[in-house]
Amino acid sequence: MAQVVGERRIRYDARGLVEPDAEAPKTSKIEDGRAVFDATGYSTRRVNLEIRWLLVDQGVRDITVLNPGAKHSIGVAILERCRLRFEGSLGYFGLGLIDGPEAEVAGRVGWSVAENMMAGVVVIDKNAGSLAGAALRGGDLVVRGDVGARTGIDQKGGTIIVGGNAGLMTGFMMQRGRQIICGNVGPGLGDSMYDGAIYVAGKVESLGVDCVEAELTDTDEEMLKGKLTAYGIEHPGSFRKFECGRKLWNYDSLEPNERKLVL
Amino acid sequence: MAKSRHVTIDAEELAGRSYPYQHDISLVEDIDLVAATPGPDLNWLEDVHLLTEDGVPAVFDRYSNSFLKIHFPIPEGREDEVARKVLIAHLQAGNSYGIQLKRKHAKFPQRALGPWTADSEVVGSHWEPPALSGWEPAGGH
Repeated sequence: MAQVVGERRIRYDARGLVEPDAEAPKTSKIEDGRAVFDATGYSTRRVNLEIRWLLVDQGVRDITVLNPGAKHSIGVAILERCRLRFEGSLGYFGLGLIDGPEAEVAGRVGWSVAENMMAGVVVIDKNAGSLAGAALRGGDLVVRGDVGARTGIDQKGGTIIVGGNAGLMTGFMMQRGRQIICGNVGPGLGDSMYDGAIYVAGKVESLGVDCVEAELTDTDEEMLKGKLTAYGIEHPGSFRKFECGRKLWNYDSLEPNERKLVL
Repeated sequence: MAKSRHVTIDAEELAGRSYPYQHDISLVEDIDLVAATPGPDLNWLEDVHLLTEDGVPAVFDRYSNSFLKIHFPIPEGREDEVARKVLIAHLQAGNSYGIQLKRKHAKFPQRALGPWTADSEVVGSHWEPPALSGWEPAGGH
């Protein structure tokens, strides 16, 4: 079933898996339901296999990964409740496609961290690249440092909290959910957003197409305090709220169910 | 003249039946929503609200892309809370159609009830790609 293609002769199978014959290293130290795994020298595939082996076969619910080495696509497709801690930085697409984990990265992450997260908590102690929380569906993504461009692009739910500054086109094509930016944001905030809310404490360089400022309600204030307190982020004092101006809303009358879900 | 179209995405139609927690609020009252979700608050359930389908109160189950109708009277002021509890009851019971599909189609080892209950059965350990009888891959691929 495995195919070998390309200049680098990469092996993959019908699922699109690279290294289809790889096995979990099974080198973790497991004690009292907790596991510590040193990822030094292992490929992305084998690191992910080790995490899956610990969760599914060993029933471990608390995993610490040492030396992740900024590898890409680490900690993806984890579909159960557990605690994950990465002692170091991750590359791009880290912790994507997850549903349930509570993860912490003691370092930085590349682009698209927690993309498509369905549920869970992802906390990044330092900075994140562009597209953080792309297509987020639910859960909380917390970046204590700064983020790059297009944070929460196509976000469909959940909450993105940024302790520092955010780049250009933050909330681009956002459809639902919340973003809390404690610092400044670059140009084009909320460009083409359909719904959802973006809260900014610092300066907004410019608004994107169909993004307007809205009144901050008591419910908003309560939510902001709750979220910032929950993750130990100091409240910057005051926020401004931005949402869709609804000039780009064009729903096909034949798609009432889709419209209902988006709203 | 354009014809009107109605697309049904109803959990009862997918399952062929409704479930007791859709008819009796006492079966969902004890569900702890914070405990049922990751993190310190409602997490993904913050985006779940009471909607209507076919004029009936309903909650959307994203795991089967269908509406789960609620047939009991919902106390005023508790609409979203009750909707979330009915949805969690549905998922924890393993009745979501998407969960049933996992047994056949999951490609990787994972727990059938995912993040909603601890230690459910493992599915997806022996996934085989579907084979079309008599089909052979073209040469060069």
